[in-house]
Amino acid sequence: MGKGAGLSRPPFMSWLRGPRRNELFWAFLFLLPLLWTLGVAFAYAFFRALWWSFCDYDLFASPKFVGLANYAKLFADLHFLKALFHSLSFAVIVTFTQTFLALLLAIALNQKIRGLTFFRAAFYTPSILSSVIVGLIFIWFTYRRGVVNFLLTVARNYHPYFLSFLGLVIVMQSTLVLWGRKRGFPVRAFDPVYLWISLFVGGVGTFFLGHFRLIQPKSMPPVDIIWLETAEKFLGIPRPLWAIMALNIGTTVPTMMLFFLAGLQDVPRELYEVAELDGASWWAKLWYVTIPALRPVMFLVITLGLIGTLQMFDQAAITSGVAPLDSVITLAYYVYWNMFGAGGLPRVGMAAAAAIFLAVLTLVVVLIQRRVGIGEKAW
Amino acid sequence: MKRLILLVVSVVLAFSAFGQEKIIIRIAGHSVDKPVKEALIRDVVAPKLPPNVEVVFEPVVDDYKQWLLTMLAAGTPPDIFYVDVYWAEEVVKTGRVRALDEFLAKSEILKKEDLIPVLVDAFTVDGKLYAISKDFNSLVVFFNKDMFDAKGVPYPSTDDDWFTFWDKVRRVHNPPEWVGICLNPDFARFLPFAFAAGMPFLNPDGTAPFARPEAIAAAEWFSAPIREGFGATAADLGVGWPGAAFVEEKAAVVIEGGWLIPPIREGAPLMKFGTTFLPTFGGRRGNYLFTVGYGMPVDEILPSKRPDLVWKVIELLTSPEAQSYILSIGHAIPSRAALLSHPVLASPADPFQEAMRTVFIATGLPGTVPFSFAPVGSIYHVVVAEALTKIFTGELSPAAAMQEAAKKLNAELKR
Repeated sequence: MGKGAGLSRPPFMSWLRGPRRNELFWAFLFLLPLLWTLGVAFAYAFFRALWWSFCDYDLFASPKFVGLANYAKLFADLHFLKALFHSLSFAVIVTFTQTFLALLLAIALNQKIRGLTFFRAAFYTPSILSSVIVGLIFIWFTYRRGVVNFLLTVARNYHPYFLSFLGLVIVMQSTLVLWGRKRGFPVRAFDPVYLWISLFVGGVGTFFLGHFRLIQPKSMPPVDIIWLETAEKFLGIPRPLWAIMALNIGTTVPTMMLFFLAGLQDVPRELYEVAELDGASWWAKLWYVTIPALRPVMFLVITLGLIGTLQMFDQAAITSGVAPLDSVITLAYYVYWNMFGAGGLPRVGMAAAAAIFLAVLTLVVVLIQRRVGIGEKAW
Repeated sequence: MKRLILLVVSVVLAFSAFGQEKIIIRIAGHSVDKPVKEALIRDVVAPKLPPNVEVVFEPVVDDYKQWLLTMLAAGTPPDIFYVDVYWAEEVVKTGRVRALDEFLAKSEILKKEDLIPVLVDAFTVDGKLYAISKDFNSLVVFFNKDMFDAKGVPYPSTDDDWFTFWDKVRRVHNPPEWVGICLNPDFARFLPFAFAAGMPFLNPDGTAPFARPEAIAAAEWFSAPIREGFGATAADLGVGWPGAAFVEEKAAVVIEGGWLIPPIREGAPLMKFGTTFLPTFGGRRGNYLFTVGYGMPVDEILPSKRPDLVWKVIELLTSPEAQSYILSIGHAIPSRAALLSHPVLASPADPFQEAMRTVFIATGLPGTVPFSFAPVGSIYHVVVAEALTKIFTGELSPAAAMQEAAKKLNAELKR
């Protein structure tokens, strides 16, 4: 190594003095608000919570290092184990159902039908309402004499009408389609013109069946399901949690549907044209073109769904005023409950340990989903 | 010469006014109190303070306890804050709330003897008083006189015991027009009866008392209207709380506190209703005392740095004048014992004032305990509420539910 080699090396931190100095300065300046927010609201808060999760701390006395004792205590706490079970079952059931329904809805709203914009706006409404308001309305709906039980009572008492209407429509539609095909027309199973005729015949037929008392409403006692104020379980999951699942699905599906709708716009039209040339049916196009093309969106929807459901807090908090704590407690609510709800001074150590556990659990569940479930590549 | 003196005096006065430091005393309370507290500060408190002192009411819309704990932990509390008897001990244990005995001993306006004794006990922790009760409430029986008259049933009275009371409620039950009683599976209604039956807060060995025969008997009695069908929960009647069922004349009887008076005044001003004490068991009566007091932080974190002035404001807020004002507008039932001779309470003119009088007297009866779960915490009532829910929905018998509650609380107490 001669002197020359030493001379050719750029001086230490030369970029700070070079022509790019200005550029870097401005870049940092513009990034500063975001970096500051990230630093304070995320990094600082995260590391502080991580440190507290190893401490016995109540916000007032100085934190006392206790090692992994808080984590050990978590797993000995029945409320935590219940919260863990509830969060995991909530995440799996809600994510699966909402993804499926959002996809169905997106495909339906991607058709060229009349009043499409109205339907898109109407279906999206639940997502723009405050979850607290929706939660409160939901509580009213699920009273013992509330709307949900009323509709179930109506459905139970008037089921002969629904069944006869449905039966008449199916019989009429099948007859029309078979008749059409017999005459050599390429009639589809849900041909719109035939469907209107079938619906009309179904309606008129049911009216006359009712009029001549061939079918009658049942007079069964009102449906008396207690949705929230109960500790009863269905399939091992508390009934109030099922109710919250229904609420959560109803309010999240529209947002997820928007993602799918956006994804559907991006599926290349040529693929459908090629499939049509090959004589692919509607189902074949859906199964072999649409769904594979939507895989990146589906990955996003499932990942956001898992994160959102594992961290679900507000709906549990609102319904906990009505439903027993053990029936609606989730991990995120458990964190809050330890901090402010359990009485006594805040159990910051336990709350922080549960929060860190929840963060790690969310990460692991998302990674497992990515590895064994739906990945982010289309084909 | 005169002009010169006048000029000098005005200049001196002007400068001294500028020289006086402005002191702001911040009071933080529930947002619903804002109009009343602001009027009280303007009409009663401010005129008696030096001109450089300004008192500001800051409404808190959030969960108040959560807000206060974080403010105390951060060392940024207001000068005066509300202390609810429900969590008074927890907040005092932070070591950031100042004991008021020293001020009280010196005060000319406020003496310990002026306050209703149970209200002093409510905010006394380890022999020291940490808050001055501003107002209070306790439970009484509200009954609709028209419904009792229509069914020819005598009104509930102070002589009723548990069984004569249920008998009257059963006889006034008149479905589908109205139910005998609207009753929720509410621990705050049930526990006073369980205490009256002889159930202690905890067993002498520190375990849960819910499996004791008296607790089970109380649960059986309390849930009878729902199990035997002469009562209904608020949700069953399609209302948010039992008080609404009473106002909407869907229930003949409810067990509520003075907070039901304003909704009746607004929603059913012409209703003929009466109030009486909770029924007895073996001559004993139980009740809960709900109260909120004014507290102040320790000197190190007192924002105004003027404890004397802060105390002065607390004195004025709880002065006879201020409390008469609160009573006369029917906002709440104030904490001074002497107010029983106030016209509103001494000779009530309408059912509303009568109800206030019943609540006032009920609070002072033996058996009334502060609405507090220290040292166990809210898990105590969480397990009771769950047991009551299971009894009300028929999932478990009263005995089985109470035994399960005892088991659950014991598991928590061992932690």
